[in-house]
Amino acid sequence: MSTEKKELAAQENKTEVATLVPATDIYESKEGVTLYVDLPGVSKNALDIDVDQDILTIKGKIDLTTAKNMQPTYMDIRENIFERRFTLGEELDSAGIEAKLDQGALKLSIPRLAKHQPKKINIKVA
Amino acid sequence: MISNMLRFPFSMVDNEIESLFFPEAYRSIAGQGQSAYPPINISTTDKSVDVYLFIAGMNPDDIDLVIEKNMLSVSGTRKLPDAANDDKGSYRQERFEGSFKRVITLPEAVDAESTQAVYKDGVLHISIAKRAETQPRQIKISAQ
Repeated sequence: MSTEKKELAAQENKTEVATLVPATDIYESKEGVTLYVDLPGVSKNALDIDVDQDILTIKGKIDLTTAKNMQPTYMDIRENIFERRFTLGEELDSAGIEAKLDQGALKLSIPRLAKHQPKKINIKVA
Repeated sequence: MISNMLRFPFSMVDNEIESLFFPEAYRSIAGQGQSAYPPINISTTDKSVDVYLFIAGMNPDDIDLVIEKNMLSVSGTRKLPDAANDDKGSYRQERFEGSFKRVITLPEAVDAESTQAVYKDGVLHISIAKRAETQPRQIKISAQ
């Protein structure tokens, strides 16, 4: 399948299932980029992070233990899927991504490729 | 190529475009400003009232839970990891930071003594039993 078709297919899927957009903070340093993503209700097993070419996709399913015969009486959260995609710049090293999930808060560290890391250049005095 | 060098390491274009074309598909969670924090779901069963607060990355010690009469109030302060030193720039800050408080009116018939609260995967689940005398009872009809 061509990339274009894949993208179209992905978009069609999106319109069928309503998703929640997780609130995200993004910080940049010389070494790379750090994302903090709020995914309350998402356990480690229900979280998918993948990089396809330069698209980073974060997808998680909210899993709540619910008793039998439970009747919802008030709901701020009506969907149970979080999804968000980001485009990574080419200087980032997608193979070096580190993810940490603690109480529904995801921290993703994406380093810059070695050749884009800051370098100290020594100046010789002639 | 200069333009290539200036390219941001990160772009939100995908989301931004999608939200223009498919606004319906993008229902937001609090943090983007339009609703109270933290978001809450409430369910009831015959035996209990169950409140779920979606509040990621907290230390449970920083959350205050009080039931007074039939009002359940949840308050606290959310501090985010301090990434704002000289070296770092911020592209985007959507996550909620600061103090929050939400008050929920419970049905009269709850038994506050029996409240259980568990914090797991960033969701605080508060379960409050209904008083026994208000729980539905099956009544047997005897034929004469």
